[in-house]
Amino acid sequence: MTDIHKTIVVTGVGVVSPYGLGLDCLQAGMLSGKSCLVPTKDLYPGFEGTTAPVGELALLAKNFSSRHSRTDQLAAVAAGDAIANSGSDRSSFRESGIVMANTVGGLTEIDTGIAEDPAAWYRRPGGLLRGSSYPFAHVADAVGEHFGIRGPRCAISVACASGAMAIALAANMLLDGAASIILAGGSDPLCPFTLSGFNSLRALDPNPCSPFDQNRKGLNLGEGSAVLILETLAGASARNANILAVLRGWAMTNDAFHTTAPQQQGSGLADCIHLSMDMAEVSGDEIGYVNAHGTGTPLNDIAEANAYEAAFRGRNHPIPVSSTKSYFGHCLGAAGALEAAVTIMAVRAGALLPTLRLTDPIDSPGVDWLRGEVKRQPLPLAMSVSSGFGGSNTVLIFGSGRS
Amino acid sequence: MTPKMTSNITPNTTQNVPDVAITGIGSVSPYGPLAGLIPQSPPEPTTITAWKTAGLRRAFLVPPFRPASVVPGLKTRRLDRLSAWALVASSLAIKDAGIDLNQVDRSRVAVVFATAFGCVDLTEAFYLSAAANGWNGTDPSTFPETLPSAPASHVSMFQGLRGPNVTVSNKYFAGETALIQAASLLRNRHADLAIVLAGDAIAPTLYSWYEVAGLLSPACYNSDALPQAGGFIPSEGIAALVMQRSGSSDVRSEARAYARIGSGRWAAGGEAAKIIQQMLGDSVPSLTVCSGNGAPCATSPTSALARQISGDGAAIILPQAFALGLAGTGALFHLILGLSGKLGGELRIRPGNGQALLLATAADNGFAALGLELP
Repeated sequence: MTDIHKTIVVTGVGVVSPYGLGLDCLQAGMLSGKSCLVPTKDLYPGFEGTTAPVGELALLAKNFSSRHSRTDQLAAVAAGDAIANSGSDRSSFRESGIVMANTVGGLTEIDTGIAEDPAAWYRRPGGLLRGSSYPFAHVADAVGEHFGIRGPRCAISVACASGAMAIALAANMLLDGAASIILAGGSDPLCPFTLSGFNSLRALDPNPCSPFDQNRKGLNLGEGSAVLILETLAGASARNANILAVLRGWAMTNDAFHTTAPQQQGSGLADCIHLSMDMAEVSGDEIGYVNAHGTGTPLNDIAEANAYEAAFRGRNHPIPVSSTKSYFGHCLGAAGALEAAVTIMAVRAGALLPTLRLTDPIDSPGVDWLRGEVKRQPLPLAMSVSSGFGGSNTVLIFGSGRS
Repeated sequence: MTPKMTSNITPNTTQNVPDVAITGIGSVSPYGPLAGLIPQSPPEPTTITAWKTAGLRRAFLVPPFRPASVVPGLKTRRLDRLSAWALVASSLAIKDAGIDLNQVDRSRVAVVFATAFGCVDLTEAFYLSAAANGWNGTDPSTFPETLPSAPASHVSMFQGLRGPNVTVSNKYFAGETALIQAASLLRNRHADLAIVLAGDAIAPTLYSWYEVAGLLSPACYNSDALPQAGGFIPSEGIAALVMQRSGSSDVRSEARAYARIGSGRWAAGGEAAKIIQQMLGDSVPSLTVCSGNGAPCATSPTSALARQISGDGAAIILPQAFALGLAGTGALFHLILGLSGKLGGELRIRPGNGQALLLATAADNGFAALGLELP
């Protein structure tokens, strides 16, 4: 029997993505098979590659000052969309918690001059304010201050698992009674610092990426933000909130293996999947779809395939898996939150999204690599998987709100 | 191999039962690397020599030391100082707790790290490499070490810890946030043991920000000025605590507890006294350890709130300048300093009342509070 005080539900989803503003916009774009990956030049001098930018942010993010970075603005736009999507008045969220993830913080507002002569850089007009947006905690504050939310605030940064981990930790906070409603998600923009970093590691595919393909060549960076409104079923029912999905299980592990590479057998991720299913009290057979981390890098995808083989061994049918980074790139600290939103959308729409440009999948008999057309079928339970540098893994399991 | 499973998630329904204990302490600070409690003599700011300054500039700096001389076999050559200190402090805390990790299920050990600024040394180095070579010529070995989560990742890698690995922050209460999140991971059965760390390192970009903003204490410019003279003296260092849940099967149940952590609350606003009193239930702390946010006047609103909660007779430990200099990540040092004073016998609390409070306030009405039970 469901314990309504221990059941975490999603009552709002806000998204700003390369498709535009809102979950509906994301859904329409993805179900039509549209890729947002575009040829990109001049994000820094000499850069030429493929990215998924969010356009016209300035039109969306009104009332921001120079002390708000692009990371802040993306987060606030997504949070505003989540509040609107929830159908509740903004005042309902005054005492809410905020758990926001990112990896870039205010690096978008800073250039190389800051390291060459910091004092001179800060004395430039707006220098101190731009510098003050650097800490990754600034994003949670920006959301809180923009909407007058004064509950507990927590910033998370665990590389590419950040957005998913924010949701997992927020769920724990709800069980602890730290707040009755929490806005949780992630935000990250395109930025020379991270583009240069991934380029230096030779991790970027110059063309649109092909996750899980035998001929994959790397990842594409994207940008965006997603924010979920989480609360207990008891709280949501008491205020008659619209329940979009149930967060059935969540787990976090670490590979304890390497700074950038995943453990090649995927054991840390497989453990994380097991733990999340254990919490959700479901078997591997009950998971209808996995929204994979699926970066398109040679090392990540093979480790992930191995993890699925291990975690879903004994299933009656291969586990359906796809990477939606093939649609809008890798959004770093926002990725886990955006993909949680995609997974909720998949559950609600009964849609198994294919990986785009997947022609020659990794040989992995226990996995049904989704490709081609969108598969339409009832989807009671789906899983969102995130991993990151430093070996962090987070798995979230979402179920239909109707159940 | 699948890690040992525990029962399904159990919410914390007994908020006032301090079922999480602090069993180990380690630190890297102006006192140098230390296991256990910290000496009561406050450190002095020292002169910055690591980079060129326009005249005398001082801060509470970590004295240079070889990490491998403290933790044999430790390799830190390519790491940010913050990562190296995290490795040393966590090793010292584990040693202080008397824990043999070979006897522990490492998939049940979490790492929770709080930082305001992350790996600023290597972030600056990455910018300098971009300035010198262009953005297409940056150093690939530096980039992953610039991530704020790199220190926590190194702790997991070095110690083989495969439980949740979390890096958190909060403008004013990053340390408190780490303590509360770690307790939450333990109570919600995501881990049996947690290594909690908080700290930051000073680099030119950070120090210059405070200087250009006009926030530095006269003691930063003048060696005759006392640290107590007011203003802000930046600090660096990392504190580490071993936290474990009572009754966890894989961890020694007879471990010495420096303190037990009850519930915690933090918020960006609201009625702090009311929320904290609600959190504490019937108990009235006889000791309050004031943390702070680094602002020059952090002390007095925190003290006033402490008196509102505990009455005039309760003991209050005011923040020490060096811990205040860590801004949002100073809470663990404040707590260690408070425990050092209490357990070292310098402080008296009401007989039979071991209830204590770690308390911080911020200029914008925010607060953080953790209920503690002292031995």
